[in-house]
Amino acid sequence: MTAKTDKGTIINIGKKEYWEIGMDIDGDHRLGAWQIKEIIDLTLPPKKTTKESFVTELPPDTKSAEVEVKVTRLAGSKSFELYKATKNLNFEK
Amino acid sequence: MKYLKFILIVAFLVMPLIASGEYKSIDDLAKAYSDETCKTCHSKIHDEWKSSYHSQSVVHSLGGIRNFIVVGLGKEWNKPVSKEHLMRCMDCHAPQLKDASESLIKEVADLIVKAVDQKDETAKKELAKLNVNCIVCHNMKVSIEKNLHGAPEKDTYYGPTGKASPAHKTQKSNVIKSAAFCGQCHGIYTPPDGDTIGCNTLYGSYQDAYRANGGTETCQDCHMKKNNRGHTFPGAYQVDILKEGLDVYADITGVRLHPGKWIPTVVVNVGLTNKAGHRTPDG
Repeated sequence: MTAKTDKGTIINIGKKEYWEIGMDIDGDHRLGAWQIKEIIDLTLPPKKTTKESFVTELPPDTKSAEVEVKVTRLAGSKSFELYKATKNLNFEK
Repeated sequence: MKYLKFILIVAFLVMPLIASGEYKSIDDLAKAYSDETCKTCHSKIHDEWKSSYHSQSVVHSLGGIRNFIVVGLGKEWNKPVSKEHLMRCMDCHAPQLKDASESLIKEVADLIVKAVDQKDETAKKELAKLNVNCIVCHNMKVSIEKNLHGAPEKDTYYGPTGKASPAHKTQKSNVIKSAAFCGQCHGIYTPPDGDTIGCNTLYGSYQDAYRANGGTETCQDCHMKKNNRGHTFPGAYQVDILKEGLDVYADITGVRLHPGKWIPTVVVNVGLTNKAGHRTPDG
């Protein structure tokens, strides 16, 4: 999620990752399937809407900004863009 | 002498039976479990399957299996490669290997390590002969109620209709239409060596989060029936089904914060609705 100001500066609004932490019995993060015995579930649960809010201040002299929101799915070495929205915001009085 | 005669006779009777179930080369094993004859009549389904990750169930997972062999077995457990241990991966990635000899198991393990560490394309090509093919789903894995219905019958193909075929014996299977069937491999798995494995927890969230919240569709409903997906079984690597499984909204607005200072501020509210029958992301 980014905002590009009228001065061309790109500002990071925020990022949220959804994933599972696989752990061994001692609570150490592991990647090997044979090692993983428990998970901490940070994924999106089925049949539910997960809501997130982001509030980011821009430089005081910003007159306008183009905000971009993207949802990307990473699978192995591949990456898929699932959603993209942009909106121009005007801050002039 | 009488006992010796008995032992010899028994040995001669039993040996060929054991030998026929112990394949010593990938080619012999692949031939015994070949999908070649299936495509004579089921070419469309075969083409669909060929494009799926089930047809690449070993070569697409080489990194993880290699790590188990080199790091898990080799360094952590300090145990040699054996059929018992390799089958904890292969019971799902290539169940045909249950009929492999110990020497073939070691050869397969060597090929996996070579294919990853040396990027050996010849090794990868050999391993591509092992996969989750027609026989695996339509026979080997079809009985999840062995005590009730017995093991799958040899040379019989199980399907949702049981429609008779002149080419082979068929039987109707309700199991093959169920999510529990897929859950055999797409869920937490306890392999024969008794040490649980957590490479895939999908089926757990299907039961405990999707079904528990009123979901009624099966894996087959979304990954096979919908949009005529058939035997392509799309999943995490196909953008269409990923988009189908997720609704997103983003409300973007601007506000001038702090009276007197009037700092330009972006407010974004996002909602992500997981419409899949399981947690996402997952394997």
